[in-house]
Amino acid sequence: MMASFAAVLRKDLLLEVRGGQSTVALGALSLLVLVVLVFAFNPGGGEQGIEAAAGALWVALVFSGMLGATRAVSGEGENGCIRALLMSPIDRAALYAAKLAAAFIFMAVAEVGSIILMVLFFNLEFDARLMRLAPAVLLGALGFAALATLLAGISSRLRGGDLVLPLLAVPMFVPALIAGVKASAAALAGTPIGEFAMWLKVLVAFDVMFIAAGYLLFEYVVGED
Amino acid sequence: MTGRAISLWLGLVTLALMLAALCMVFVYVPTEADQGIVQRIFYFHVPCAWVAFAAFALVAIAGIFYLWLGQQVWDDLGYAAAESGMVFCTLVLVTGSIWAKPIWGAWWTWDSRLTTTLILWLLYGGYLMLRAMAGDSEQGARFGAVVGIVAAADVPIVIVSVRLWRTIHPAVLVTRQGGHGLEDPRMVETLLVSLAAFTALFIWILCLRFVTLRMHTRLVALVRSLALAEAAAHDS
Repeated sequence: MMASFAAVLRKDLLLEVRGGQSTVALGALSLLVLVVLVFAFNPGGGEQGIEAAAGALWVALVFSGMLGATRAVSGEGENGCIRALLMSPIDRAALYAAKLAAAFIFMAVAEVGSIILMVLFFNLEFDARLMRLAPAVLLGALGFAALATLLAGISSRLRGGDLVLPLLAVPMFVPALIAGVKASAAALAGTPIGEFAMWLKVLVAFDVMFIAAGYLLFEYVVGED
Repeated sequence: MTGRAISLWLGLVTLALMLAALCMVFVYVPTEADQGIVQRIFYFHVPCAWVAFAAFALVAIAGIFYLWLGQQVWDDLGYAAAESGMVFCTLVLVTGSIWAKPIWGAWWTWDSRLTTTLILWLLYGGYLMLRAMAGDSEQGARFGAVVGIVAAADVPIVIVSVRLWRTIHPAVLVTRQGGHGLEDPRMVETLLVSLAAFTALFIWILCLRFVTLRMHTRLVALVRSLALAEAAAHDS
């Protein structure tokens, strides 16, 4: 189980390093989202600017996550690679875990870029408060990757399915989105740890729920057809 | 009893209950002192909400049974429940808005209950879009079951997060629904009859839709076997 997980993940990462464009595309999309939201909000400094920055960061995360999961799963559709993967003696759960890990790594790399851009565009400071952002953003990326990998398994196998992915993923992600934005705003504003920790708990609950759901249900998504 | 007789009886029971509920809502029950006449929409709003929640729970239960047993009948039940539940969920949002405008002064607020219902509506809207795109395939049924289960599992976290979101934020409006303190016993009676009427209506609609879907499934299977037989005859 561990070996097949590592093999699939290694393959995906190798594909990316040897000139796959997922991370670049994710980063570019995040950049565009942040730029568009700066124009839309025209944030001033102070508390309002922090709230806008936290919101923008999470919008970028949702968009890049959708792209990341789609690429990790639907990339297998090319040349019928998915059929070969399903024919090989790999546990479906290991396949899900590997795809989830790949999507998560792509997202995490893009998120590092987004955080730097957010600080620049929203006139924040590079200081210790950014470190407190890390757990919230990573948990959010993990949750979104878990959810979107499962749903991308569905959308990649339907005609016009790329429309279905956001329609399903965004409403399902709402709890993590609320918690993530609130946790990020609390971290950036440097408020006491209590509120931040409460939102992190919501994120952890979300992640646990969706990883468990994906682990159990992915086998029915990729199915036997 | 045949399916047709069952649905006829269900329809008659629904009709009787609905007429009784209408009479009680508009004639029997006293007007609420603070909110006036608009409070009467409460007797439609709450039963719709109850039915919508029950329908979406049914989608998830049917999904679990479908994945477990693999029988098409469970998928037809789940699909029928999602479609009927969506109608009632829409009604909840519409009747709620009509009530909120005169009472709260706004069609919509981001109160936790409203937000949760809206997210439910979006989730099952996505489910129905998915089903429409997948067509009548075994694959579509499987995807529907997976999404139905995941959506239901998501609901508790939605409720918790939205509630936390709104308690930390100061509430702009006092969101205690006046109808909750049903001080007059006639109000409770009306609510109960109305609940029964809407539950019967839901079961009736669900049955009609379920029977249609069952027929559709059989038709698709027939068409397929016919096409196979023709192809076999052609070959030989």
